[in-house]
Amino acid sequence: MVEFTAIVPEIILVLFAMALPALGYATKNSKILAGFGLAGVVLSAVFTFMMANDLSVAYEFGNGLIRVDQFAILFMFIFLAVAGYVILASAVYVKDDKHQPEFFSLIMLATVGMMIVASSTDLFALFLGIELTSLASYVLVGFRKKDVKGAEAATKYFIIGGLSSGFSLFGISLVYGITHTTSFAGINTYLSWSVPLANPELLWLAMIMVVVGFGFKISMVPFHMWAPDVYEGAPTTITAMLAAGSKKMGFVAMFKFFLIGLIAIKADWQLLVGIMAIVTMTWGNIVAIQQTNIKRMLAYSSIAQAGYILMAIPVATEYALAGGLFQILTHAFMKGGAFLIVATLATVAIGETIKDYKGLAKRSPFMAFAMMIFLLSLAGIPPLAGFWSKFVLFSAPIDAAATAGAEWMTWLALAAIINSAISLFYYVRVIKYMYVDEGECKDKLKLPWSMVAAVAICLVAVIGIGLWPDPFIEYLKQAAHSFFVLY
Amino acid sequence: MDATGIPLNWFLILSACLFVIGLAGVLIKRNAIVVLMSIELMLNAANINLVAFSVYNNDPTGQVLALFSIGLAAAEVAIGLAILLNLNRLRDTVDLNDLTILRW
Repeated sequence: MVEFTAIVPEIILVLFAMALPALGYATKNSKILAGFGLAGVVLSAVFTFMMANDLSVAYEFGNGLIRVDQFAILFMFIFLAVAGYVILASAVYVKDDKHQPEFFSLIMLATVGMMIVASSTDLFALFLGIELTSLASYVLVGFRKKDVKGAEAATKYFIIGGLSSGFSLFGISLVYGITHTTSFAGINTYLSWSVPLANPELLWLAMIMVVVGFGFKISMVPFHMWAPDVYEGAPTTITAMLAAGSKKMGFVAMFKFFLIGLIAIKADWQLLVGIMAIVTMTWGNIVAIQQTNIKRMLAYSSIAQAGYILMAIPVATEYALAGGLFQILTHAFMKGGAFLIVATLATVAIGETIKDYKGLAKRSPFMAFAMMIFLLSLAGIPPLAGFWSKFVLFSAPIDAAATAGAEWMTWLALAAIINSAISLFYYVRVIKYMYVDEGECKDKLKLPWSMVAAVAICLVAVIGIGLWPDPFIEYLKQAAHSFFVLY
Repeated sequence: MDATGIPLNWFLILSACLFVIGLAGVLIKRNAIVVLMSIELMLNAANINLVAFSVYNNDPTGQVLALFSIGLAAAEVAIGLAILLNLNRLRDTVDLNDLTILRW
């Protein structure tokens, strides 16, 4: 008897995703379709919650390919939350488009892929999860078939995504050849027993291939060039999903590959990944300053944030991982929320350049306020969520620098702090446009309630985590602990 | 060496060549369809690796993984061609150098 409990949340999502196109024959009302999709997400979250309540049982599936632990639960909740608010916001956003059932269905399938990545214990299960998400999101990016920008973005995303899967698959095949296994624990065991290796060059090659493959997914510099183009061209609610969901999936993959699989040889890659992190955050922030399109600006800010989260890998302590997880959690809400605001305003014909946001505070006080909170949180202003996550994340390298041989990690923290200061410049510029400058049009905006609700969810999360960070930090520390201990 | 009589290195050299040809295709060719074919070459290079390692390690996992990745490559082509077809309808080109609306 195969035990399916561990993948019940995924099964529910798949069933709902399969039923949606059928429902599309009965009704063309996007609100009903979105409601049905949302019901699937909520039901899936309920089952995840039931598993989270009792983690003493080991939830495993497929000979341990999939294992649900505290770390996996955390990410399943993040991904389900992202899927939830994206579907909620899309109900109105796609109301005039064709093929709506498929749209919601694909969002849910992409989420299934992310959840599989979160709970995978095997390099190949993880790879298949990533591909499931990627395939669904290529289609979602090109969803508006008549949109020239969307078609171009989809082409770019598809080619870069294919290249990235080519690299990661080749890297995975080499890892399999060297270690005779694809499970993370197995790779770790092999490497810790057989150092020094007979042929370390081959392992280096494998590692670099996998890093390039995953690096495309998390938009690590120099593999980031697709991100602004795709984020700009995609339907904006999908941009929110890419930034808040599928990018985080890449980080889960990186965490599992480096911090479980390759932890035995961490001295070899620590410095390299550390330098990558610094380059990524600096480049993202510097280019973000010059952007005039708000989606591109947020995309580059997303690249910079990827650099911050990447810091957790070279530091490689439980505390650092907790910081990385915290940043992922808060980033999912603040960046997602910011993109949702852009999507909401697009429905009332406010453009995507930053200048279009002039005088927004008078036209829609709630949207301007929410945008201000998200941007300040991204910059790391207390007492918002972004401050606490950055606080934990940036203090981790300083903590670790106390041990011998890791003194250089202070520079990581220093670079991150300087970068936060730079980023404040372009975030505050948007706030100035919204609050200080006068816009040409002064009419009050009438916004669709479901999109406002989606933004409000993100807003509550950002402010809530900001005011009561302790339970979250505590939970994330446990998740990080379970991540290191269980393997 | 096993019953096939061909040393493992030969397979690895073959797959490395295929991978590099594929990568060069992606980087140099400007026709999106050719790029798509080059990506397939990269994936197939990995499949050769997986099967070769599987045989020489006496471990069937690799062959199963190769089957999965073949299925995946097929799905990827289906989606890729659909995207390129749509691009061709809208823009009347599949030349990657013409994709210049989105840039900084």
